[in-house]
Amino acid sequence: METNTARGDNEALTRLRGIGIVGEASLKMLLLILMGLVVLDIVIQGVCCIYAHRGAGASQAQQSPRVVLSGSGSTFIYPEMKVWITRFEKENPSISIIYNPTGSGTGQSQLLKEKVVDFACSDPPLSHEQYEKYKGQVLQMPVIIGAVAIVYKIPGYNGPLNLSAKVIAEIYLGKIKYWDDPEIARLNPGAKLPHAVIKVIHRSDASGTTEVFTFFLHKAAPSLWPASLVGKAIEWPVDSTGRGLGAKGNQGVAEYFKRLGSAIAYVELGYALENKFPIAAIRNAAGRFVKPSPETMQAAVASALRSGVLPDSPLADWSNALNAIVYAPGEKAYPIVSFSFMMTWARYPAPKAAALKKFIEYINTVGQSEIVEGYAPIPQGLREINLKALSIIKGG
Amino acid sequence: MSTPGKPLYRSDKLLYYALLPFAAVVIAAFILLFAVLGYVSAPAIKKYGVRLLTTSQWAPNEANPARSVYGLLAPLFGTLVSSTIAVLLALPVTISVVLVIEEYAPERWREIIGSIIEVMAGLPTIVYGLWGLEVLAPLLQKHIYSPLHQLLGFIPLFSCRPVTGFNLATAGVLLAIMILPYMVAVARDAYRAIPFTYKEAALAIGATRYEYAKIMLGLAKPGIVAAALLGFGRAAGETVAVALVVGNVPLVSGCLFKPAYTISSLIANQFSMAPLYPYMMSVLFTGGLILLAIGMAANTVAVIMIARARKRLG
Amino acid sequence: MADPRIIKEKVFLVTIFVLTAVGVLPVFHVLAEVLVKGSEAIARHGIGILTSTSNGILASLVGSAILSILASLLGIPLAILAGLFVAEFSDTKIAKITRVVSQSLLEVPTVLLGMLVYIIMVVPMGGFSLLAGAVALALVMLPYVMVHVEQAIESVPPMYREAGYSIGMTRAEVLIGVAAGIARRGIATGVLMGFAKAMGETAPLLFTIGAARTTLPCSRPLPLANVLDPGDAVPLMIFQYAQMPQRLYHDMAWAGSLVLVLAFLIVFIAIRLLVKEVKM
Repeated sequence: METNTARGDNEALTRLRGIGIVGEASLKMLLLILMGLVVLDIVIQGVCCIYAHRGAGASQAQQSPRVVLSGSGSTFIYPEMKVWITRFEKENPSISIIYNPTGSGTGQSQLLKEKVVDFACSDPPLSHEQYEKYKGQVLQMPVIIGAVAIVYKIPGYNGPLNLSAKVIAEIYLGKIKYWDDPEIARLNPGAKLPHAVIKVIHRSDASGTTEVFTFFLHKAAPSLWPASLVGKAIEWPVDSTGRGLGAKGNQGVAEYFKRLGSAIAYVELGYALENKFPIAAIRNAAGRFVKPSPETMQAAVASALRSGVLPDSPLADWSNALNAIVYAPGEKAYPIVSFSFMMTWARYPAPKAAALKKFIEYINTVGQSEIVEGYAPIPQGLREINLKALSIIKGG
Repeated sequence: MSTPGKPLYRSDKLLYYALLPFAAVVIAAFILLFAVLGYVSAPAIKKYGVRLLTTSQWAPNEANPARSVYGLLAPLFGTLVSSTIAVLLALPVTISVVLVIEEYAPERWREIIGSIIEVMAGLPTIVYGLWGLEVLAPLLQKHIYSPLHQLLGFIPLFSCRPVTGFNLATAGVLLAIMILPYMVAVARDAYRAIPFTYKEAALAIGATRYEYAKIMLGLAKPGIVAAALLGFGRAAGETVAVALVVGNVPLVSGCLFKPAYTISSLIANQFSMAPLYPYMMSVLFTGGLILLAIGMAANTVAVIMIARARKRLG
Repeated sequence: MADPRIIKEKVFLVTIFVLTAVGVLPVFHVLAEVLVKGSEAIARHGIGILTSTSNGILASLVGSAILSILASLLGIPLAILAGLFVAEFSDTKIAKITRVVSQSLLEVPTVLLGMLVYIIMVVPMGGFSLLAGAVALALVMLPYVMVHVEQAIESVPPMYREAGYSIGMTRAEVLIGVAAGIARRGIATGVLMGFAKAMGETAPLLFTIGAARTTLPCSRPLPLANVLDPGDAVPLMIFQYAQMPQRLYHDMAWAGSLVLVLAFLIVFIAIRLLVKEVKM
């Protein structure tokens, strides 16, 4: 008995000796790895800062004091905002601008409620209640025009398509099921439309695009599309027929649209152009069928400006702006247009105020000639209204 | 088993108190999370109460915010179903992989397969989501869902026509792929730990490979259950990849081929505009709170069960 | 006449090999897609797509590197030590609570964890920062690393522990000297999984780091203090660029994916080489 235990002990000891050494070694190794990480981090940060301050390759030579402006909000304006930021930073090396496209709603709340950003971009303007709450403290400037395109995919048909609000509404209500429906044929005499089922794509997430689209349907065909169906996210009547599909984001709509054989969708113009989707011509308030283009988009806003229905200052209430530009009068006007607003406070610490004013000035002058495909610049009258911000924003 | 309970001797007490703060930090972080979730959800719970769980309708009303209707039933259903599908699919594969790597594959292949599985864990979730959107969903729809619907359409699960591949089933499959490496890693550790003596004994009594595997898996059961729990939790919390393939429609249905929602994809879809509606943010947080509560309940049960099983196995 | 037991065995073997193949196949396709699309993107736009801040994703790459390291430094030691506690003193109430708590953390949608950090760090600080992003990532990776550590330590066969006690080692010595040593492969896997999570997660970064794409986080003279700057990361960049219409941005997203995957592979190989198997 005793000899067994003694042998057992020895075995255990030998085993343990081997593993024990190994055990301590691995712990030391772990500590080494962690310390190595700290060193690595310092090295990475150090190298990148040297690179940045040398100014080689990077488009800014950074001298202190450097001002950082941070913004967040609309994803719709992001491609344009990126171009503006890049070009502006090149001309103004001491100003850095960051923009986080998290969505219009979060942009507004990050600027106004949580105050973690210096400016926000939002497709919908402040609601009337919000405006009253922040009256005199917040500026709103519509800095770009966007358009919602109605894209179509019809099996066996590659020609142009005319649509009216009434017909689109009936499609999205689930009432029109096939491409060769008499309502569609009436607007497109001579077109050989097949008897194919129309799959209807809409948005699943809350979005300004949906708001503009549903607002257009309501304004142009109120008897069919009631006010209760206007909003950033709604219950789509066509879903109950099983032919409706909800996609996330404009990109999601584009993805779904690419994969279906017979479908209709509403999407921001940029996505329709990039993917070369067939775009429908929509009947505007003057009775003409118009396709979206910078010309027709500007025409809509210009006519709204002329009729005096748009506010005349960044400090004014813009909550009714959509009503002014959607389905606007004018032969050339495209009926489904939208703004994207830049929102700021009226007071900032002096360096930030100066930098922000420079940025606003750039956007409303030189920036308007650097427009990405899918957007349209704002007419001169609007630029002048926005530039009033330069005398409103105060530093210190 | 060595005493896993409270320390008795002074040097052991030192270890206990040296490590305790770190566990305390974890608990503190959790309490903080729970408190913040509770605080932000409170307005919605106060206003809507149980109605949040009994309806699938998601109808925010802009003109009249007080008349908005929010329902978490569909997302909750979707999360539970897709996570369950994911674990049901991933578990057999996990066990197969573990057996293949540990027992039956030729020596050189073991490290290779094991490494491939671990690489799966390092891919950004967004890449999985994009792949699921572009490759997996259309593939599944064409080659699996449509045939299933045509041949087995009388089964309620397959009774609706798969219009696209973006539905709960695809979410489940994608999640299964994404949770696999984590489940394999945990199950593999458990399997490796089975002492050689047991393996010798099983072989000595002449078990076939199948019977041998059954014995080994029985011994590794606590680890396998831990793996399944990890997988389920991971699947429930995954946000970005699921949002791209689940269809994003607030629908509760017995059929797997209809587009649906999960709580995390609901949040991903709605958060960008939520601050503009008085109660929406609060409702979204309530969804997260519910998931947390379910997780706590399930994990508590599991921890108690595993502890009991461990005691039995000695 | 075939022995039914042999038939069962054959069927069993075929099944598990097929299932393994099914499980492993998708990742090849995903990797192939990343490789192809990423290389195409770099070929189309030149290496500048990776090294420029104004026309490229340099800020995202640098940010991802800093974030992964920072998050690992915050999360991994905490997870390992907490995991050791839970595994060693598993019968105590506190350990059980910690286990339940850490596993429940997994089930919270990652986007909400990001919003938690937004509320407790970003808002009081008045702006986005890499540090906030790192804290959010550390929260996300915590359960993964902990589960691995717990599992690894608990799987150490009792006989080794008892051998240690029998020669008079204290619990601390057994834990650190014996158990941790045997379990080191599992612990290393846990560290690797944690690091992978830090590199690959998107939602926790949405509201915390600020998507600073055209500037490098370098506003202060002291390198470490720059973690208070806003920054960017590859997964966030991919998520936001993938939603834009222009193909240029999709290309940048794929190029970033390629670099991220390659970086992970390097770390992976490094850890595998450093930490060797323990044969029992």
